[in-house]
Amino acid sequence: MGAGARRASLGARFERHAPYVLVAPAVLIIVALRLWPLLLGVNFSFTGDGERNGSAVGFDNYLELLQDPLFQGSLRNVGLLVLLLPLAVAIPGMLATFIYLRVPGHRVFRSVYFFPAVLSPVIVGAIFNLMLAFDGPLNALLGTVGVGPVDWLGDPDVAMFTVVGVQIWATFGMALVVFLAGFASLDATLLDAARVDGASLARTIWHVIIPSLSRTIQFVFVTTMIGMLTSMFGLLYVMTSGGPEGSTYLPEYYIWIQQGQMNRPALASAASTVLFVIMLVVGLLQISVLRRTGGRT
Amino acid sequence: MAGRHLGNRIVAVPMAVLALATIYPLMFTANVAMKSRREYILDRFSLTSSLQWDNIVKAWSSVGMARYFANSLLVVSVSVALLLLLGSMAGFALSQLRFRGSKALYLVCIAALLIPFQVIMVPLARVMADAGLIDTYPGLILAYVAQFLPFTIFLMTSYYKGIPAEIVDAARIDGNTTYGVYLRIMLPMGVPALLSVGILDTLFCWNDVLISLLMMPSAENRTLMIGVTSLRGQYSDDIPTFASGVLIAAIPVLMVYLFLQRQIADGVTAGSTKG
Repeated sequence: MGAGARRASLGARFERHAPYVLVAPAVLIIVALRLWPLLLGVNFSFTGDGERNGSAVGFDNYLELLQDPLFQGSLRNVGLLVLLLPLAVAIPGMLATFIYLRVPGHRVFRSVYFFPAVLSPVIVGAIFNLMLAFDGPLNALLGTVGVGPVDWLGDPDVAMFTVVGVQIWATFGMALVVFLAGFASLDATLLDAARVDGASLARTIWHVIIPSLSRTIQFVFVTTMIGMLTSMFGLLYVMTSGGPEGSTYLPEYYIWIQQGQMNRPALASAASTVLFVIMLVVGLLQISVLRRTGGRT
Repeated sequence: MAGRHLGNRIVAVPMAVLALATIYPLMFTANVAMKSRREYILDRFSLTSSLQWDNIVKAWSSVGMARYFANSLLVVSVSVALLLLLGSMAGFALSQLRFRGSKALYLVCIAALLIPFQVIMVPLARVMADAGLIDTYPGLILAYVAQFLPFTIFLMTSYYKGIPAEIVDAARIDGNTTYGVYLRIMLPMGVPALLSVGILDTLFCWNDVLISLLMMPSAENRTLMIGVTSLRGQYSDDIPTFASGVLIAAIPVLMVYLFLQRQIADGVTAGSTKG
């Protein structure tokens, strides 16, 4: 076989395997740095920290988690997020409805509302540290109507609501844009029919808009929930550091503290696994809800 | 009809107030950044009497924001370039080429979308430390690529699915190898999708806190966002300098938003309509 022919056959083999060559780098990175760590972490959560490093400890880490007031608090705060979720979906939903109905200035509103969604949580948190300071603008504004001052970030009963409020401020534009994309696929003749029938705005929303947008609404519910569970770290880190009195912990912040500050990686892995299960439940709920409505329409 | 219009006008009032409340925090911060310390302490709400660029200059040079800015610029641009290259390669193969295992490989890529970073950060830190990649630029870049690649592949695959198979066939008849098809046909045709995914990936990497915090422990390797968090402790009694640092970090994103708002919104919604 001549050198030329050998080169040709090498080239042919290179060509035959082209799909694998193209996919390989991406798949290798994803497997090595996303899927493999997931298995490692679950495995890791059944081993010990410190003196018991590496030895199997069964469910000890999980038991410790359940007894840790900080972790309990973080789960309670997850519950609070779930309770506030309808609000975080309804606000952008209502605003998108009015923008879709071409309220005067709707173009300006659209671009202004979406703007905070592109800012880093760190920047949002830093800005709100200024806004919410005890002698800051918000308390000054409240003072003019005789309310307050409120210790927004220093009162354990208030701080978590404050942070969630800021999170909603920072992300409602994202949901708004998704809603508007949903409206683009809405059948306008339905709205016209409702208008001809003289239906009020409230009835139009309830009987026409909500049923037509059910898929979009579910999507926003799930993405907002996932966003609350996985993208509030920056806010917590900058605004409260989990305080006051550990009242603003979320699982992701707890994981960070146990890993980074307390040198308890195995305990942190157990918390990670719990967070993953919560996320899976949210994801599976979405799939089952989508299936049900998919079957209906 | 008339009633609806009236209703619309009334709704516009609270919506305008909300719009103001959305913009005001940033205006307030920009105003504070321009004030002298004395001016800020005397009255933090008044409009600044002069544009004090001193604070910005101070935050940029002596506080070290310039260094953090350069770090972010380097890491983000290399990460996004890699994401687009690997994402479009995989997206092309998974959407246009038929080969054994393509479905399974696509599922592997998409399954990773369900794994948030918080869930894998502890073992990932260990893997990265074993590889000697903690506190290095390649380490952070690799972490970003791994984090945002599934999303990038998802969008590129669904975009390339819309390209008719005849185009690939025609290019092959013209004598192109598979790699030639990728380089000469798919990359140029993918530009609109690459642009909108690229903008989103840029925002994700630029705005990230947690990954950078985990991968870059030493101060001189900080990215810009971590630089902002460190300002808070250092300049808690010098709010105008603090506000200047925040402004420096926010301005690039503001610029991107002003010019590319449409593309950002399209990218965000692509996931919702195709998913």
